[in-house]
Amino acid sequence: MTPLSFEQLYQHEWDELETSLNRVLGRRTGNSEPVEAVSGARVAVLYRHTCEHLALARARCYPAYMVDRLEQLTASAHQVIYQRREFGLRRTREAVSNDFPVAVRKHARYVAVAAATFLVPMLVLGVLVHRQPELVLSVVSADTAASFEEMYSPSAGSIGRPRTASADWVMFGVYIRNNVGIAFQCFAGGLFLGLGALFFLAWNGAFFGAIAGYLTERGLSSTFYPFVATHSAFEVTAIVLAGAAGVKIGHRLLAPARATRLQSLVLATNDSAVLLYGVTAMLLLAAAVEAFWSSATWLPAGVKYGVAALSWAAVLGYLSFQGRRAD
Amino acid sequence: VPRAVLDTIVGAETPEGIVLELRPAGLNARFYAFALDWVIRLAIIWAAAMTATYMGGIGLAFVIILFFALEWFYPVAFEVGSSGASPGKRAFGLKVVMDNGLPVTPAASLSRNLLRAADFLPFLYGFAIVSMLLRRDCKRLGDIAAGTIVVHEPRATRRGALNEVAPIAPARSLTPRDQAVVIALATRAHRLTAERLDELAALAATVSGDAGQSGPHVTRRVLGVAEWALGRRS
Repeated sequence: MTPLSFEQLYQHEWDELETSLNRVLGRRTGNSEPVEAVSGARVAVLYRHTCEHLALARARCYPAYMVDRLEQLTASAHQVIYQRREFGLRRTREAVSNDFPVAVRKHARYVAVAAATFLVPMLVLGVLVHRQPELVLSVVSADTAASFEEMYSPSAGSIGRPRTASADWVMFGVYIRNNVGIAFQCFAGGLFLGLGALFFLAWNGAFFGAIAGYLTERGLSSTFYPFVATHSAFEVTAIVLAGAAGVKIGHRLLAPARATRLQSLVLATNDSAVLLYGVTAMLLLAAAVEAFWSSATWLPAGVKYGVAALSWAAVLGYLSFQGRRAD
Repeated sequence: VPRAVLDTIVGAETPEGIVLELRPAGLNARFYAFALDWVIRLAIIWAAAMTATYMGGIGLAFVIILFFALEWFYPVAFEVGSSGASPGKRAFGLKVVMDNGLPVTPAASLSRNLLRAADFLPFLYGFAIVSMLLRRDCKRLGDIAAGTIVVHEPRATRRGALNEVAPIAPARSLTPRDQAVVIALATRAHRLTAERLDELAALAATVSGDAGQSGPHVTRRVLGVAEWALGRRS
């Protein structure tokens, strides 16, 4: 069959597919024909035919313009037919009520490793700095230590900063940038065989521990702990979970089991995407709590500790039990 | 179809058994796209900051939150949209797709953009650049892990005007490859200078039985064979 007769024979199918695709994709075609509903079955049939035509055209070395046109047609039809929609309220509700906590439990070992990497340096540094305050300088500079001490000094009127309603909003922005940045670093560091994730987890743990130990030693526990207790429930958990995702991709890269290293990396990253959705949401929540609740000085410490205990219980309970029935 | 060694085309097989050809975008195109996106983000921040100066503390907070959102989610927001590309990429005809040629999923888009934090190391996207230069498919670390690829959007190739010459029967039997080459020459004819067209046609002159000759009359005969190969007979 010559190229021209091939084209003549099947052109009407290609044109029909093209028109349907344009209609589905909402492209303007110039001529204002009445918009009809596109039949999915018909598009699928046309698509399969066009795929056959492309294979034939390639095998028979038909002219480039024809092969190109068929390639473009099949490529855009392929995109339309096989695309996945992951949005929507229903999907989000499912993620919150099931997917996220289930994913966390599925990765329990990585979460344990990440939590240990974060908590052990935190506790060690906290105790050490509490005993020997000058050790804080091994983690932060003298200026930083001094500014933290100033921030949590009870004489400062409100905790740390001059707080007005708008200052709350400013700090909300600052916290988001800071904390989300830390968490995302912990995840991305996983690409370096997991070492980056472990490093960022340990370093941030050491930082928090050193600051906490230092401020406690300075006698500022009464302002510091009520401040951090509540939002840390969301923030520390989110950082640990992001780190766990990082450790996971690092581990899968090191020990790919029955796949190539690259395949195993791609699978691990896809798996941990649910964790990342959850982590991002938790970090936004943490920043809001930190800016608008933790900083409120007019609340008695008892109330704050109470709410903090509730938050921790809620977060840990949610991650351990939510969605178990569906498992 | 065997491809030349220099080509970087990546094949993605579909369930229908055909191979879609993806053309990975190299460092150069992606750098321009990134630079344009960077300028756009800068302009947005600048405009927001200008407005915010009249709004006091809330305005400052708004700018900081906007800065954060642009830093991490600017590409995600556009990639999961219908175009699959940030404005910078779209301006340079690039697009993010999955390895199998499908539109990028929200999960993959989020992963590839969060992994920027790793690509950025040790400084100024050092690892991203090394990775893109070393790999044939020009992926940065985030692309590798998320299973995505940045490709050139296919451009329509236009069909050349072919009707000016009368078809001539070939002087020897032509293999399919021969036919494809002669037809390709004919479709490109209107984009070549007359001299270059004569030179190329002289290389293919055996098809019309004019081996060793060259000139406009040989070119017309070679183009006539192309018409014949396409299927025109009168």
